[in-house]
Amino acid sequence: MAENIKFLVYRNSGNGDIRYERYEVPIFKGMSVLEALFYIQDHFDSTLAFRYACRGAICGSCGMTIDKVPMLACRMQVSTVKTTKKPVNMPEFNFGEHSDWDKENEILIEPLPNMKILKDLVVDMDPFWKFYREIEPYFVRNWNNVAPESKQSPFQMKAIERLVYCILCGLCWACPVSSKNPSYLGPAQLAKADRFINDSRITKEKQQKVISRVIKEDGVPACERFFICNRVCPKGVMPGTAIKDLRDKWIKNE
Amino acid sequence: MRIEEFDVIIIGAGLSGLRAGLELSSKWNAAIISKVYPVRSHSGAAQGGINAALGNLEVSKEDTPKGHAFDTVKGSDYLADQNVVMFMCEEAPKIVIEFESMGAPFSRLESGLIAQRPFGGAGFPRTCYAGDRTGHALLHTLYEQSVRNGVKFFDEYFLIDLIVVENKVTGALCLNIASGELVIIRASYVILATGGFGRIFKRSTNALINTGDGNGAAFRAGVPMQDCEFVQFHPTTLYGTNILITEGARGEGGLLYNKKSERFMSKTAPEAMELAPRDIVARAIDIEVIEGRGFENSYVHLDLTHLGSEKIKERLPGIREISIFFAGVDPIDEPIPVQPGQHYSMGGIATKYKGDVGETDLPSLWVAGECSCLSVHGANRLGGNSLLETSVFGRAIGRKLLEKGLPQKPSLIIRENVENELLQKIENLFNKWENNKGKRPVEISDIMGETMNKNVGVFRKQDLLEKAYEDLKKIQKEFLNVHVATTDRKFNYGLIRTLELRNMLDIAEVTAYAALLRKESRGAHYRWDYPKRDDENFLWHSLVYRTKDGLELKKKPVILGIFEVKERVY
Repeated sequence: MAENIKFLVYRNSGNGDIRYERYEVPIFKGMSVLEALFYIQDHFDSTLAFRYACRGAICGSCGMTIDKVPMLACRMQVSTVKTTKKPVNMPEFNFGEHSDWDKENEILIEPLPNMKILKDLVVDMDPFWKFYREIEPYFVRNWNNVAPESKQSPFQMKAIERLVYCILCGLCWACPVSSKNPSYLGPAQLAKADRFINDSRITKEKQQKVISRVIKEDGVPACERFFICNRVCPKGVMPGTAIKDLRDKWIKNE
Repeated sequence: MRIEEFDVIIIGAGLSGLRAGLELSSKWNAAIISKVYPVRSHSGAAQGGINAALGNLEVSKEDTPKGHAFDTVKGSDYLADQNVVMFMCEEAPKIVIEFESMGAPFSRLESGLIAQRPFGGAGFPRTCYAGDRTGHALLHTLYEQSVRNGVKFFDEYFLIDLIVVENKVTGALCLNIASGELVIIRASYVILATGGFGRIFKRSTNALINTGDGNGAAFRAGVPMQDCEFVQFHPTTLYGTNILITEGARGEGGLLYNKKSERFMSKTAPEAMELAPRDIVARAIDIEVIEGRGFENSYVHLDLTHLGSEKIKERLPGIREISIFFAGVDPIDEPIPVQPGQHYSMGGIATKYKGDVGETDLPSLWVAGECSCLSVHGANRLGGNSLLETSVFGRAIGRKLLEKGLPQKPSLIIRENVENELLQKIENLFNKWENNKGKRPVEISDIMGETMNKNVGVFRKQDLLEKAYEDLKKIQKEFLNVHVATTDRKFNYGLIRTLELRNMLDIAEVTAYAALLRKESRGAHYRWDYPKRDDENFLWHSLVYRTKDGLELKKKPVILGIFEVKERVY
């Protein structure tokens, strides 16, 4: 049985004209919010803009705010939006006037918070990538072709495993600090720094280089321990915990 | 109108494109063009691993690149070009060690060496992995090294068409997705690394962006498509969304059951069982479903419950997450519902016979990765060989071009004329799409996906393939009249998806056509009406061209000579 669900979708042509549009989408079992947005694009308005790629929660493209919570649209099923437990103490995100939102029955779709909106649900990720580059997230060893590889014990690998799987989706920029401080490096970026600092294969020199960047005012010290990042992260990276690790273990003695 | 100029451009920022870009940026003015941010590329979705005969395990001490090559050739049902396979397998240990030196976070053995797991069709456990998110780990590692080396990127630029002047590629016409402007990007060499085209099928593990944009552009430029009838259906994709459930799940001990609780693989592959190659397992599953032993007439069970919570959490955390979020099933407690789905395109842009690896018949055009047909996978790819192919050949092609040096370009005046003509042609096309009164793109893409799935799927036969080919020719005509809004071009994904459909329709048509003409069963191409492999009449690569009278098939010899062509039994 096809059931129809109403979506209230943030629209922004990119020139200051903001509005919320209603669409009614016939849903099927297992339909994701991303699939519902494609339905809207295919059947009602081909210019509705949103990013996407893998539809399997691994590429990090389709971050958006669904019913006031930043999520990956591909990983959220339409049928469970209203019943899924929301993270606690979420900050309020304000994108525009939508006082006629029927909270019980309509799914509200808005872009990611704390980023400039370029069109509809597409946000400007340039600052996100810029801060990512700033922590110099890479090994600086010479490439080597010849066996054996450098060793790392399973235990040492464990220390970075959680951090490695960040998909750079930007949901953690929902952080209240990102909202008020545009020069804050951001949770994902600091978690990435922690990934390199904790890698047993990294040199002391490189470690110091990364630490010297995150120690600055707009890095670790800017974090106010809201831990919103931990709660919205779809991959269990726990950036807030990574920042705590940076602070307690690596920066304390500097 | 914006014009950019480079020595070489690489289209696509997955593993092939990034690895080629890293090599070429070291000496030349190079740029990588990608329709998504590089880390969004589909290489990142690869789960299971990358094959290399490192021999890191006690049981794999005797493993060799030649053994790896043999398994690959046998897996290919003897259609792979053996010299190219040999090269890939010899490079494999080197490229994996290179990844590690770049910082790739591989899973490790107690010895501290890179861990390796068993995979289908392999004589030894030789698949190196990073949990079940190997592609993600490698993609991020290459991107990190690209940032380190200051590689130039054009993010969110869509390839529309190649610029061909006097039978030589001189650049690409792209759409800047953010601004909507058309941009001419000139280059002495163009490398296409645009990935697979699984989205021609309705049920595919592929990312939504895998639409064969490089293939479409090359095909329109007169380059043939090779071996497109060979489509890999992955045996275990999640029922419903068809998200990939890695072969590594079976490598770690996962078992397949039908609804009568039978391990049905014993019937088709009594030795290899669940770890038979993908084509064989996919057919076995579909047979269970067709003969009524599937669940809800649609799927079978992949059972991991006996592995225990700890092993699942350690080795297959991504699979667990996918199962929970996309199917509501926790594999620690319950089996995962799986069915075969399109997964990989063995075929692709044809490469020059006995040319340099990755070289095409169109001068200055090179190809790498899944969009290409080199051919290392022949009629069926082994798991763990695709990540390998991308990086080995991305690097090799980069090196080869540096060695060859930059070619002569046609005169600027002639190039400008061709560029302007192409720009005008595309402007006209956009205007036409805006003013057309025909179908919406989705109506056409739905028919394409349906007919490919139903008629060009795991099991094929003459009348079904004819039906598919006719359907596709019909929707090609309807597409001429397609309507989509093109006036506001800023982040116009409706327009982007129509351009993608333009590419997919060509490749779908080629696939159905090539499948129709291959009257044998080989690897992933299985025909009810010709169930045997026929080396006498069909041991060749298919090349499909577009002529003014429609599609045309030519044959290209398979390069043999290292391993004897034999029957394939597991």
